[in-house]
Amino acid sequence: MNLDKKRRPIGKTIFILTMIFFYLPIFYVVVFSFNSSKSLTSFTGFSMQWYQKMLQANGMMTSLWVTIFVAIIATLISTFIGTITAIGLSQSRKSIRMIVKQMNDFPILNPEIVTAISMMILFVTFSINKGMFTLVLAHIAFCIPYVVLSIMPKLSSLDSNLAEAALDLGATPWQAMRKVIVPQIAPGIFAGALIAFTMSFDDFVISYFATGGGIKNLSIMVYTMSKRINPSINAISTIVILVIAVGLILVNVVPVLGRKLEKKNGEYAGINKKIKYSAIAFATAFVVFIGSFSFISLGGGEGKYKGQTLHIYNWGEYMGEDVIPTFEKYTGAKVIMDNFDSNEQMYIKIVNGEKYDVLVPSDYMIERLIKENRIQKLDKSKITAFDNILDSVKNLPYDPNNDYSVPYFWGNVGIVYDKTKVDVKDLEREGFNIFRDDKYKGETYLYDSERDSFMMALKALGYSMNTSNQKELDEAYKWLLDSVNKTHAEIVTDEIIDNMAQGRKALGIVYSGDAVYIMQENENMGFYVPESGTNVWSDAMVIPKDADNKELAYEFMNFVSDYESAMSNSSFVGYTSSNKEVFDELSSKDGMFAEIGAYIPRENHPNDEVFNYNEKTKKIMSELWSKVKLSASRNSKK
Amino acid sequence: MKSMSRLAIPYIIWGALMIFLPMLLIVIYSITKEGNGILSIAFTFEHYKKFFTDPDFLVILFRSLVIAVKTTILCLIIGYPIGYYISRSKPSIQNTLVLLVTVPMWINMLVRTYAWIGILSDGGLAQQSLKLLGFDPSTLLYTEGAVILGMVYNFLPFMVLQINSALAKMDNSLLEASADLGADNKMTFMKVTLPLSVPGILSGISLVFLPCVSSFFIPKMLGGGKYMMIGNVIENQFINVGEWAFGSTIAVIIALVMMISMYAVRNLEKRQSY
Amino acid sequence: MDKNLLISFRNIVKEFDGNVVLKGINLDIYENEFVTLLGPSGCGKTTLLRILGGFLDASEGSVIFNGEDISELPPYKREVNTVFQKYALFPHMNVYDNIAFGLNIKKMSKDVIEQKVMKMLKLIGLEEFEKKDIKTLSGGQQQRVAIARALVNEPKVLLLDEPLGALDLKLRQEMQYELKKIQKEVGITFIYVTHDQEEALTMSDKIVVMNKGSIYQIGTPEEIYNEPQNKYVASFIGESNIVTGKMVEDYLVEFDEIAFECVDHGFGTNEIVDVIIRPEDIDIVDVEDGKMTGIVDNVFFKGMHYDVTVQTVEGTSVTVNMNVIAEHAVTSDDGKEKISANDFYLDIDDMEELDDKEIIARADAQAWEIEADEYISIHKIEYDLQPVIGKYNVTFSTASGTSITRTIHVVDQKYIVNRKADEAVSAFDFYKTVEEVQEAVAIDTDLKTWAGAQGWRLSDEEESIDIYVNYDFDMDNIELGQYKITFTTEGREFKINTTDYVEEGKEIGLTFYPEDIHVMRRMIG
Repeated sequence: MNLDKKRRPIGKTIFILTMIFFYLPIFYVVVFSFNSSKSLTSFTGFSMQWYQKMLQANGMMTSLWVTIFVAIIATLISTFIGTITAIGLSQSRKSIRMIVKQMNDFPILNPEIVTAISMMILFVTFSINKGMFTLVLAHIAFCIPYVVLSIMPKLSSLDSNLAEAALDLGATPWQAMRKVIVPQIAPGIFAGALIAFTMSFDDFVISYFATGGGIKNLSIMVYTMSKRINPSINAISTIVILVIAVGLILVNVVPVLGRKLEKKNGEYAGINKKIKYSAIAFATAFVVFIGSFSFISLGGGEGKYKGQTLHIYNWGEYMGEDVIPTFEKYTGAKVIMDNFDSNEQMYIKIVNGEKYDVLVPSDYMIERLIKENRIQKLDKSKITAFDNILDSVKNLPYDPNNDYSVPYFWGNVGIVYDKTKVDVKDLEREGFNIFRDDKYKGETYLYDSERDSFMMALKALGYSMNTSNQKELDEAYKWLLDSVNKTHAEIVTDEIIDNMAQGRKALGIVYSGDAVYIMQENENMGFYVPESGTNVWSDAMVIPKDADNKELAYEFMNFVSDYESAMSNSSFVGYTSSNKEVFDELSSKDGMFAEIGAYIPRENHPNDEVFNYNEKTKKIMSELWSKVKLSASRNSKK
Repeated sequence: MKSMSRLAIPYIIWGALMIFLPMLLIVIYSITKEGNGILSIAFTFEHYKKFFTDPDFLVILFRSLVIAVKTTILCLIIGYPIGYYISRSKPSIQNTLVLLVTVPMWINMLVRTYAWIGILSDGGLAQQSLKLLGFDPSTLLYTEGAVILGMVYNFLPFMVLQINSALAKMDNSLLEASADLGADNKMTFMKVTLPLSVPGILSGISLVFLPCVSSFFIPKMLGGGKYMMIGNVIENQFINVGEWAFGSTIAVIIALVMMISMYAVRNLEKRQSY
Repeated sequence: MDKNLLISFRNIVKEFDGNVVLKGINLDIYENEFVTLLGPSGCGKTTLLRILGGFLDASEGSVIFNGEDISELPPYKREVNTVFQKYALFPHMNVYDNIAFGLNIKKMSKDVIEQKVMKMLKLIGLEEFEKKDIKTLSGGQQQRVAIARALVNEPKVLLLDEPLGALDLKLRQEMQYELKKIQKEVGITFIYVTHDQEEALTMSDKIVVMNKGSIYQIGTPEEIYNEPQNKYVASFIGESNIVTGKMVEDYLVEFDEIAFECVDHGFGTNEIVDVIIRPEDIDIVDVEDGKMTGIVDNVFFKGMHYDVTVQTVEGTSVTVNMNVIAEHAVTSDDGKEKISANDFYLDIDDMEELDDKEIIARADAQAWEIEADEYISIHKIEYDLQPVIGKYNVTFSTASGTSITRTIHVVDQKYIVNRKADEAVSAFDFYKTVEEVQEAVAIDTDLKTWAGAQGWRLSDEEESIDIYVNYDFDMDNIELGQYKITFTTEGREFKINTTDYVEEGKEIGLTFYPEDIHVMRRMIG
């Protein structure tokens, strides 16, 4: 209509700009998946390394299969149930219809996170082990409503005469449904299935809370990996994008081809549909088949522990890349490793019944676990590891005789600083108080951990970091507020590592092991530990009380403490090894970390402390820290 | 064919178990004493009190609402012209345009958000482009702006599709009638098109605003630790702090807020439908 | 009365995607006229209207309004208003606001608007309806609101696009009178589009008959009805008897080998023409008194009159032989399959279009599995046809080799020609088995198909003519042998409207006045 001619250019421009907006990140992802460096911001060259890493990475491809597998199963089941429900509803009394409609709306109206935790609570309360089963169940739960919602309108607009005509011609009610109703509502069914698949494929929140036992879908995988910059994410994303693009092309091109064939020879009229259906059927069967295959163990070959599985719960990025594959080959067992971000996170999972064979908590958390009787005493006769371990990490206060734990990594907490921007004299003079120096406004990172932040404040104020004195804690709280206000600190977690490595800011609080990595990547960075003291920490391996496979756990602990594995771990992660030989080697003059002071935490400093576990103080710190963060967000410019 | 109504029964049973029961559990948790996952029987309203008396939580709730409002408004401003443009395009390319808008939605939400981290990082594409245009870019990532950008990116397609669908349903002859009666393009839009697209706008708003309030992933990724929204608080309570009862309380509060607003919007929609 | 020229369409051409919908329209419309654009769907009448309204641009040509070329003006700047086919009332406004819409746009003062709207409501008979939601109105009421909404703006021209289409008969007729009344009262030009000829005749001052993008005739209702310029207009308006005839000389036309006095002139000598006589103009009289005679075929009671069909010229017929033969299917050696086929006749002219499928159909060749009683396909056909009259063999076989051989008789088909009635018929002898005859579902149609019976008009070979079948055998008790089958055409039939009853089968005379005959030039294409 000629009324709109003027509006076209404006609308078109906005549309094109928006399309650029929409597709920019996608384009970005694809381009950077081929980046030859780790950077997410500068493209340094072409490389396929991330695709290689992706294929090798433990669990990445598996997570893609999990995603597809769950999506297909959930779609099939929810489409089926949704369809029969919709049909059933259309024949039901109005009152029942209303009730069911309300019930159906619920999962859609409810905030995703609420649905998610409701699922989690459900599973935990009834002691259903979280895993593939619960994941699929949860997906079906949120898919069905969309299917029903898709089909109901089509049903209500259905000509009731059609079904009557079928009955008139001799069909039974069920035949009428199959041959007349279902084909009529087929577009609705198809649309519903499509929506269900999309929602399932894309889901994060609900999956995050509903899964367990190492089963991760793609979203969860990306989430856990996004702590450290990992361009393999770009690689797998590109694959997903590719698959979608191919799928779209197929969906649009195949019918056109089918029509062309039709024109050529009338006999082929039915083939178009046949091709489509058999293709879909085949593809589905293929995926399901392959998918189920991948769960029938990858990894695990010959060996004493063939057929057994070891469940490990460890920090993220805390192992050398070859350690687990080597262990699997060596023992014949399969290893499933989950990652946690914080001791608290790990604790909660354990307490709620997640089963693991080996945990790697930190000192104070081990103290707590011992107190609460959640981990086992070790049968020292089965452990060879202690022979290799540094004396300075043995017999620490949280587990005086190492009755329960085998040390893994250790280190302290300190300030990583940009040598070109920060005057060392300021550091020496102020220690942690440099974080209240407005000279460095806008140039500071704080670590998002209440424990470490309070430690910093208390130490700066000259108090013990284990104090339970309310007054002292209050002062520390004020100290932190002051820091945040004066320097407009960014509060981040592991992003700090890459950001400091890229030299984005001048000062940051980091663990010594992370400082090692940073200093390796950026020679302008230095590491300083204040005289006023800091936290010395130790992470160690323990075996939970309800571990399934103790023998394998012992094997693992010994294996990991051996020279080879310890070397691989320490050199990859950068954290200080507990293994004597490795430590000596790496810190020696020719060693990898020779120049990097951060690798060698100072020992026996009078002001350095190890964390004690105190439930009350922990709660107080937690609450106060939230307030600090809130205050920080109010301050910063947008 | 009354026997077919039996077909709905499986779902009713399922609903009782998987929809109604979990919600009931959450409500129960919210009124029991803290027990870290163990169902204890002592009832209390202390968690509710805690939430409403602690100004910080209310601030977070308020901030969540504000961010959601900003996101929704942006989605409306950008989404409406696009929806309009699509509905006025040739029918043959309308499907393609809709597809173009929808496709990004199929790509995993986390993946898309992750890409923005790269673009918005210091030294990244966004900063470099802004520099070219003459702006002096300070940090883009970990700001409220980044969070809103991420949300708009995620929710815009919903708004566009709702508006497009409402406009497409509009009878073309109404526009002709309006022009016939003397209204020029602008007036036709104001007096006819806009009022008739209100159901679509309302529906778009409900699809954007409400999920936005409770989202936790995007604020976490693009806002850093600072930009806690109410969704982050809930996640935090469950995953890090371990206070399930308190977490459930917040969940119940949000759920109520959302449901009330949803019903309000739906009722408005119904009254406006043509 | 010399009316003022208001609108001129000058050579309007409109093309859509390669289709030319308007082929160069020239039309003048005057003040105070009720003009109807009449034609079937797709003739371009709505397109022309929309071009005038400004919703479409013409591909070529211009629209002159009051002396000015308005081709480039958008709709909101034209002094025309439209009443849309589906009313297009604004659903989000009540009756009052709908009607007031145009006035609000013009920013008139509230009082003036109220006055005008109220007056309009009175005119359409919907006082008290101002606040009503338009969704609660009936079709007729909505229609009137749509009219009011347009009229209240006092346009010079009102365009109405099939406004009464959605109403039932009684209401439609009422509204027709209403609209005419309003037009006379308000005194503006109405341009009305419809496909309903009765509507056009009722309301218009001037009718423009359109078809396939062109104007076929412009005239008053009487002119169009009584003096249609061609066959199309004639058959579109009112019922008619249309016959092909020959103009012997001025005032004398001949058809059915009879010459009739008429009042038309100006044609070439012996020019082939179309002749129309209206059913109501023919009277039934005694045989001696009629200009033509015939036999009464059918009498239908229509309430107002009887519809009588009278056959004045007998139809043409051809008789062929139906040869009923014994079952002669061939069974395969292993007793599993059966195959059967018949001889058939083939006209030498039809040989070019012959393909395997057609041969199978004509021979009625079938093969089936005996036990399963399921059809199997004919795998191979062998034949060696020459375009020469004679007998040829054709062999049908299945995949497993069961086969049967039959004869194709290539002949020069016989026609029967009837110059008087300007028609011809033809048919073939054919062969059928007893079973085939007994199993025929619709024997008349089947006989026609089996014999390949056809009828067509001599002067226009493309025009086919219906054929009737006559036979004398008992389907259920048919025996081997030969039966005669006769195919006949209708001949000449006239439709007559009369209030007098006549008996079917009676011989009567038909008469009419010379002025009742109207001669029209033949249409090209």
